[in-house]
Amino acid sequence: MLLNGNHAVSYAVKLARPNVIPVYPITPQTPILERITEFQADGEMHAEIMTMESEHSAMAAAITASLTGVRVFTATASQGLLLMHEMLHYAAGARAPIVMFNVNRTLGSPWGFWPDQTDSLAQRDTGWIQYYCENGQESHDTTLQAFRVAEQVMLPVMVMHEAFYVSHSLEAIDIATQEQVDRYLPPFDPPHRLDPEIGESWGNTVSQVMFNNHRHDMDDAMNRTVAIARQADRELKELVGRGYGVIEQYRCEDARFLIATMGSMAGTARDAVDELRSEGLPVGLLKVKLFRPFPLDDVREAVTGIPKIMVLDRNFAPGTGGFLFQELKSALYGMESAPEIHGYLAGVGGTNISPADIKKMVTCAMAEKPSANSVWKG
Amino acid sequence: MGYQIAEENVFSSGHSACPGCSEALAIRFILNTLGPDTIAVVPPSCIAIISGPQPLSSMRIPVYQTTLEASAASAAGIKRALVSKGNDHTTVVAIAGDGGTYDIGFQALSSAAERQEDIIYICLDNEGYMNTGSQKSSATPSMAYTTSTPAGKLTPKKNIAEIMAAHNIPYMATATTGYPDDLARKVAKAKSIRGGVRFIVVLAPCLDGWGIPDKFGPRTSRLAVESGVFPLYEVENGDTYTLNYGPKGVPVAEYTSIQKRYRHLTPANVTCLQEEVDRNWGRLQAKCFGGRGK
Amino acid sequence: MANSVDRVPSIWTTGYTDILSTGTWRNAVAVHQKKNAPCYGACPVDGDIPVWVHQARNNDFQGAWRTLTENNPIPAAIGRTCHHPCEKNCNRSEYDGAVSINALEQHIGDMAIREGWTFASPAEELDMAVAVIGGGPAGLSCAYQLRRKGFRVTIIDANPELGGVLRYGVPEFRLPKNALAAEINKIVDLGIEVVTGRKMAGSDLDELKKKYAAIFIAFGAHNPKRLPQFPPGDARIIDGLEFLRGVRRGTPPELGEQVVVIGGGSVAMDIAGSVIRLGRSATIIALEGRDAMPAPEEEIQDVLDEGALLSDGAMVKSVEEQEGALMLYGVEVELDPAAPAGVIRPIEIAGTGFAVKADTVILAVGQDPELADWEQVLTVDRSMVTIDATFMTSSAAVFAAGDVASAERFVSTAVGDGRRAADSIIRYLGRQGEGSSGLSAQIPEVVFTDINTFYFPRKEREERGKLAPRERVADFREIRLGFSAEQAQEQAERCFSCGNCIECDNCYIFCPDMAIAKNASLPLHYTVLDQYCKGCGCCLEECPRGAMGVMEESK
Repeated sequence: MLLNGNHAVSYAVKLARPNVIPVYPITPQTPILERITEFQADGEMHAEIMTMESEHSAMAAAITASLTGVRVFTATASQGLLLMHEMLHYAAGARAPIVMFNVNRTLGSPWGFWPDQTDSLAQRDTGWIQYYCENGQESHDTTLQAFRVAEQVMLPVMVMHEAFYVSHSLEAIDIATQEQVDRYLPPFDPPHRLDPEIGESWGNTVSQVMFNNHRHDMDDAMNRTVAIARQADRELKELVGRGYGVIEQYRCEDARFLIATMGSMAGTARDAVDELRSEGLPVGLLKVKLFRPFPLDDVREAVTGIPKIMVLDRNFAPGTGGFLFQELKSALYGMESAPEIHGYLAGVGGTNISPADIKKMVTCAMAEKPSANSVWKG
Repeated sequence: MGYQIAEENVFSSGHSACPGCSEALAIRFILNTLGPDTIAVVPPSCIAIISGPQPLSSMRIPVYQTTLEASAASAAGIKRALVSKGNDHTTVVAIAGDGGTYDIGFQALSSAAERQEDIIYICLDNEGYMNTGSQKSSATPSMAYTTSTPAGKLTPKKNIAEIMAAHNIPYMATATTGYPDDLARKVAKAKSIRGGVRFIVVLAPCLDGWGIPDKFGPRTSRLAVESGVFPLYEVENGDTYTLNYGPKGVPVAEYTSIQKRYRHLTPANVTCLQEEVDRNWGRLQAKCFGGRGK
Repeated sequence: MANSVDRVPSIWTTGYTDILSTGTWRNAVAVHQKKNAPCYGACPVDGDIPVWVHQARNNDFQGAWRTLTENNPIPAAIGRTCHHPCEKNCNRSEYDGAVSINALEQHIGDMAIREGWTFASPAEELDMAVAVIGGGPAGLSCAYQLRRKGFRVTIIDANPELGGVLRYGVPEFRLPKNALAAEINKIVDLGIEVVTGRKMAGSDLDELKKKYAAIFIAFGAHNPKRLPQFPPGDARIIDGLEFLRGVRRGTPPELGEQVVVIGGGSVAMDIAGSVIRLGRSATIIALEGRDAMPAPEEEIQDVLDEGALLSDGAMVKSVEEQEGALMLYGVEVELDPAAPAGVIRPIEIAGTGFAVKADTVILAVGQDPELADWEQVLTVDRSMVTIDATFMTSSAAVFAAGDVASAERFVSTAVGDGRRAADSIIRYLGRQGEGSSGLSAQIPEVVFTDINTFYFPRKEREERGKLAPRERVADFREIRLGFSAEQAQEQAERCFSCGNCIECDNCYIFCPDMAIAKNASLPLHYTVLDQYCKGCGCCLEECPRGAMGVMEESK
């Protein structure tokens, strides 16, 4: 079916059969929820759609619905995601397995609607699991994986794709069947939930030791997530024939140089790698799909023996630089013969980066020693 | 006294409310009327403290503690989830303070009312952010001392009752702890109505915050009613007004003189307050008896 | 594929706070406490008024009668004659009018007569005999209490019938003899031996002591006081009590057209009322001003409504003949406020001389006990038998109460003293008494500020109806109508029940900590839970009737 990236997500959500969907519009995620409300109006979906008055309330309702023991989905972007920030921490602390789709969009001020991953990356400490998708098909499939992973580790999951490049671009999407998804996602029925017949409460003030234990529990859950995510990816592949891994290594055999990136940039980088390889350069693509928890072992394995990596960050934190650059350096610290890492800020604010631009950057990076800081490359 | 507490014992002793706390008393009447097939949502407030320290709860129903803005949204989420599972019998109630209702929680409440969410929302109004040490909220009345308005609040109390009535919700009522049978009846009525937000604002005199003796909670709340500061009435569907207990000609000075938060009032202040009370009562009277009411 | 987590998230709450103790927070705990109501404190018979009024409120009139008659066996009579200090002290009088306790007592007494309720028989029969000399209010009360305990009781009375001043003093229009007789019969039916028409003298005491384990003297005060300005021996000057006895017997003495009654007490009013009913005019001359007259205001007003004339604050100085009638010369007086207690010292007001013509003068200036030969065997002082705090006279096993031993001269006080004397006799004879008179200094009395008036909507006190004066004077029918059943119910509901818990549940309802538990088996109906009570005092404040107190606690 020819669908834009957002609608591909809508179909995945329909198939996952969530019970409660709080919605609030914001460009450019609105079409995700619009298509969902159309499914509902047509009788193809039977969920409780809640047209909330703000994203903060949307996430508040999502948390309680989830804690009442039902599957929940919502979507947002940029400002909306940030308005939810308090509740993102709350959701993760509540161990509510909510799935949220966030369309990466620039953050005000100043105003803009452009692809930029800073909005979700700035939430990397909230306890949510994070996936970055390259195209609509991946968004569709990853949304399904998100429900599976969330309900196993009992942590919320956010799945990203970028504004307009992915959200509004049409692609041929292979939609999974209901039968496949029903097998992949069994009904969600948690033993602890808000239910007068069980009588348990949630949210009382805890002591310091209880808090410490609780955070430790969340750490344990995060630590289990990479393996579970890998497994979930494999299991979906068995059903629908498509898998992505938690990272993807594209043409990395005998590579001497890796381009590391996330999201739609991976697609552009893929083309650049093909061109560079045809020119005889041993360049490969390391696409980080699961960003949080950071798949440290997979990444270390992928970069073993590679002398140089060039990170392309379509995101920027003032005072720090590119997020992936920072995470990668941190992940590889202490590794024997760790590669040199260049951190390039490419596409911050949504500027267009072509395969030719990437090739130029590769040339640059190959010739230079890396700076400790991110370097602005357009 | 016609009040019969249903012996549900939904609310347990051993909770940490201050001695004589009006909110604890209100919670007792509310929960015992709603019964055990209930889920409550409570934001940060004295109510949250009364709910108990982990791993103990003072309420024998599931209670979810939410963030301060989000009571109505959280309650709606629970109700929708229950409905989606085919459960239409469990009552979902949000019990919030005035801060979490009039101020930071108002947006979510207004929207829940507009969406006709099937929840009961009860505001325990002690006219300030008492849990954090008596700061002013928009529920604080004119001239009252709070730690953020030490010279007396310059602006009048927001009329949440009329605001919620204007949302045309199926049921809006004011109540207070000095009239437990009236409060329980209203809670029971709210429970019996299905669909749409049922909103009750309960005046809950705070002993510490208002500066009254521990035993004066119910008495102070009765003075509030009898002086016309807080008449007890109901509004159905935004236009049918029923007055339950109106003023009995008690001068507002009798009400303010027992509260330390009004200790600084001059006679001129009291006159001003009396005028304000009379004006508000006049407005309400017109609605109750001026052609549209019962 | 498993969907579970290895370790349960640590944040669900599964326990309840009722395992905690918040009782440790308090310095003082609330206690349920039966406190003394002021009506009880003022009642001459120590009647547990809030209790029987509450029974009446609950429509348990027989229960109310049983409670009433614990202390007073003749409520129909007392409900018509008591000076009701209870009502003066009633806390409700500071709100919207005292509770109509006296009227309720009459109603209950009358109902007992109508319904034929009887006293329970004594639980046991004791082989001890007591003689009661005098079958008036004190004697009847004492005999009743003794008999209930199982003693063998004999009442010996000089008159043809029992009743004493109630029968021979109080006129028919205030206390119908049928009502009195019915109540006396209930007492006698307990198994009391009655000997009438027998006047005992002091010389009989030795014989009595041989026959009886104890003797109770209560033959009242029937010797009229005299005033020197009224010469004795004149047939036109009649003793008041003699007059009333004659009316009672149906053979009143001859009266002239204009009768003057000297005296300011109830007896004088009764006499004036009787005179009017016998078709004569009555003028009352009382030494005291109207406000200070011993007669209750209601009685004064009643007789004035019936046509009597009153000259209060007046004293007759001399009496002279005038054409077959008497001329009374008098002057207005003020009573000297500086006079010692009990001494009446009139001060003449210059220029207020008056003269009143009287065909008959009836004197009602008080009476003394007849103690001529009793003085030989008992100590007598100021014309009364001397008794100690236990009502015992100077002679062992001989007790006395009522007008013979007390200057109080109230019917209800006599009934109360009769009971208290009986208690002394019971203990004297080695049996278990009822202990103290009931009013312990330790138990606080409820005052009006202890009452939470929010719980009592204003409701007017109702008085008993009265026949119109024109109707009244036609004959000696009772002038006051008792309450109807509805009135009794409504008026009983006005009682605050000061200090006496009636299980309104307010304490239970208003506790924010649910620290009060209901327990119907306890006499005070509730317990305060030590584990939870924080000592806030809401229960105390919301108790409508001051039936709770505070107990300080030390840690």
